[in-house]
Order: sequence, then structure tokens, then C-alpha cells
Amino acid sequence: MSAVIEVANISKSFGPKVVLKNVNFQVEQGESLVVMGGSGTGKTVLLRIIMGLLEPDGGHVSVDGKIIQQLSIPELFEVRKQIGMCFQMAALFDSMSVAENVGFALKRHTKMSPKEIQIRVDECLAMVGLKGSDNLRPSELSGGMKRRVGFARAIALKPKILLFDEPTTGLDPVMTDVIGRIILDLKHELGVTSITITHDLKSAFAIADRVALIFRGECIAIEKPDAFKVNPHPVVQQFLRGDADGPFLQDPPPPKRNRQEANV
Amino acid sequence: MFKTIDLLGETLLGFFSQVGDFAVVSGRTLAAIPRRPWDFENLIRQFAAVGVNSIPVVVLTGLAVSAVFAVQLAFGFKQFQAQGLASSVEGLAVVRELAPVITGLMMSGRVGSAMAAELGTMQVTEQIDALECLATDPIHYLFVPRLLACLVMLPLLTGIAIYVGYWGGYLILVNVEGQSAYTFAHEFYKLIGIRDLRIALTKAMVFGLIIALVGCWRGYRTRGGAEGVGNAPTSSVVTSSLWILVADFFLTKLMLV
Repeated sequence: MSAVIEVANISKSFGPKVVLKNVNFQVEQGESLVVMGGSGTGKTVLLRIIMGLLEPDGGHVSVDGKIIQQLSIPELFEVRKQIGMCFQMAALFDSMSVAENVGFALKRHTKMSPKEIQIRVDECLAMVGLKGSDNLRPSELSGGMKRRVGFARAIALKPKILLFDEPTTGLDPVMTDVIGRIILDLKHELGVTSITITHDLKSAFAIADRVALIFRGECIAIEKPDAFKVNPHPVVQQFLRGDADGPFLQDPPPPKRNRQEANV
Repeated sequence: MFKTIDLLGETLLGFFSQVGDFAVVSGRTLAAIPRRPWDFENLIRQFAAVGVNSIPVVVLTGLAVSAVFAVQLAFGFKQFQAQGLASSVEGLAVVRELAPVITGLMMSGRVGSAMAAELGTMQVTEQIDALECLATDPIHYLFVPRLLACLVMLPLLTGIAIYVGYWGGYLILVNVEGQSAYTFAHEFYKLIGIRDLRIALTKAMVFGLIIALVGCWRGYRTRGGAEGVGNAPTSSVVTSSLWILVADFFLTKLMLV
């Protein structure tokens, strides 16, 4: 299989803060990579570099063999038509209705008639379980609905690659499961290559063909879910346990108290 | 001592970097005007927001400013028993200066600030990044319709301000000061030629360019959440108002030669 996305030696700093340090990985055709890591470890920065929204300090990203950092603006836009990006907070256009949001790229980049656009919008909304919500405004949607409209917007142009930036953050456990299932459905129905950033271990292991963990800007593990679960690296094991004690945190956590002590 | 030099250097570099960024974004906006796809729906919306919705503001300010100017002229010329000149000078001032400048300043407050706030909110809520990810150049999609709307609507609004300015002067010089309506109508246009109208409309177009580019640029470069969004309109109004007044001086000097 060939690599659709190649991340080579990516480094990025903001002032003195090093966010990414020589991150390397490849994502193959149809593969689903889940990237995990603590908050502020540069996962979103990584996605933004892949989309060409941020310039890395070193290294490069290639998508379908095209090096993103070397493309002109029109060439970059051509590559972006093949990538669907789902933002953490959905980033819906708040001056437009749900249907206008989902049909935005279709209207701008295809010669489809308004009727054909409406049919495609309905298809996309049906895929994310929001059929019939065309005329709602983003302000009338719940957090989970916004994310799902964001997914529908991202898949409207039938992209080859989907990038999900923390699609379940801030949602209740039931909605988190719904979003996980939708991502899985999209993966099976569309056969896309995807990179998902998430903290939710349950949906991560359900979605992932491979799991990567970023720790202090470095990719310390990238392997199949079963191998990841038994990876002996103390940071990986601490992350899987969800325990505050261990090498994961830079600053020591507050001491652990039992319930009785805390109630005193 | 070194600290002061450091600070001075940093301030200067920051200033030049902002000027450079503004120039690059402005150049990209002008270059993007003929590029497809053209979004006429978006364009019409901007024409309505910049033009139609601004008519009440322009009518009221045009009327008030020309009326108060007529009061001053009537009072001033009365000192020399030259009340007859008030109408001619009123006409000259309204067409050449008051209508374009007042319209420009009012629009920088009404339209420029709205552009900065709207684009600033879009920036901090990642909507501009979403546009980029949907293979849409934000400069082409957001800047160009606003710029075209300002370039077309500012001269039209200035035309309205001139028309209203006539009636503001009429209200004072005819109804209050007792000039004859015929004399006023005749004298108002006495010193004005086609060149003056050309000066007024050219100024309005330049002011439109300044308002749209500064408003959009300030919004596009908004950083830092609610505080940044709050600062963007203020900064846009201050910057564009300053540039309108500076540009007015140079345009007047150049075009009256």
C-alpha cells in the first residue's frame, strides 16, 4: 500500500515553546490513524500543518506525493479539495443555515445545479443522522449536532482524506459514542484515509487501524491498537490508565487523598 | 539605554511589519477581484449592507452638517454684508469637502467597524480556517465583495449626501435667513463645475477603498479571543478615519492643481 499522507521530521515552536519535535509517520490508503496525547502537546498544530494552515519550522508534509509546503496557493487549494477537515468546535459559518454550510464547497467548486446540491446536502446530513435539519441555524444546534454538521460539510466534496480534530471533546458519553459510530460509518462507507485526534480511548480503539501517542512534542508510539495497549512505555501505560501519577505530567499533580480525607 | 534602543527597534520593526502585511493583503485583494468564482449573492448582500442600510445615517449627518455650516456661513458673511455669497460657498463646501469626508467618516464608523468585527469573530471562531480548508481563499470570498461594495456605494452615498446637503443649506439660508429660493438654487451651483463633482466622487472611491481594506485587514488579523474582537473595530475606525483625513488633504491638493 502507498502512503497518502507522509509527515516527515515536522518541528514547530511558538516562541520558546517547542510544540512538535521531529514528528514522523505515514498514513496509508484507507487507513485510520488516531493521534492521542495530553492537552497542549501539539496535536491540533499537527493537523493544521497537514492542512497547510501553519508553516512548520522544519520538515514537510506530503499528501498524495505533493509537498504541501512547496505548493502555490491555487495548488494548495486543489489539494485541500481532497481533504475534509472537521474542527474541534465545528467552525460552522454562523451567518448561514445548516444546508448552506454543507453545500458551501459544492456551490463554489462544482457545477452542480441547486437541486443537485440539495440532494447531496440531504445525503450528507443523512449520513450523520441529521436529515431534515437543513434550515436550522448553527446557533440553534447543540454541540453534538454542530460537530455532525461539520462532518457533513467536510464530506460534501467526497474527499479522499478526513481529518478530525477532537470530535468528541466536551460531549456527553452517549453523544461521544454517537460521534464515534458516525466516524466509523464514514470510514466504512466512504473508504477514506483519516487522521483523528481524540482523548476518548473507547472510540479511539474502535476507529483506529493504528494509534499514535504524542508526548512533549515527540511521537513516542505508533502501532496497531492491540500492540499499543501492551506497549511497556511508562507514558503510554499511564495515559491508558488515566492516572495522574507518573511521568506524563511536567508539574507534579496534587497529592492523592481518599474520600474521607477530602471530606474533613 | 540598550533596553530603550531594543524597545524602539522592536516598535519600528512591528510598525513596518504591519505596513508590509497590509500592503501584501491589499495587493492580494486587488489581484483577486477578477478571479472566479463570482458570488453575486454575497456581492448583493454587501451592496445592501454598505449602501442601502447606510442611507438613513448619511441623510441625517449630511443634513445636519450642511445646515450647521449654513448657519456659520450666514453669520460670518453677515459681518461683511455679503450674505449673498453664503449659498455659493455652501455649495462649494458641500460638494468638494463636506459630503465626501462626512460620508467617509460615517461609513468608517458604520461599515468599517462592522467588517472588522465580523471578520474578527470569524477569525477567532476558526471560520476563516474553515474557509481555507474548504479550498476557498478568504481574501477572495470575504475581502473582494466588501471592497467592491465600498467602491461603488461610497460615491453613490456621497451623491445622496450632496443632494441632502443642498436641502440642509436651503433649510437655513432660505427658511431661516430669508434668502429667496430662486437665488439660493442659482447661487448654490454657481461655483461648482463638473470637475468638483469628479473630485467628490474620486475622493469617495478612495475613502471606500480605505474603509474596506482597513476594516477587512483588521478583522482578518484579529488575535486573542473576545479582547481581540473588541479591539479590531476600534482600531479599524481610528486607522481608517485618520487615513481618510490624510488622503483628503492630498487628493484635494493634487486634484485642484
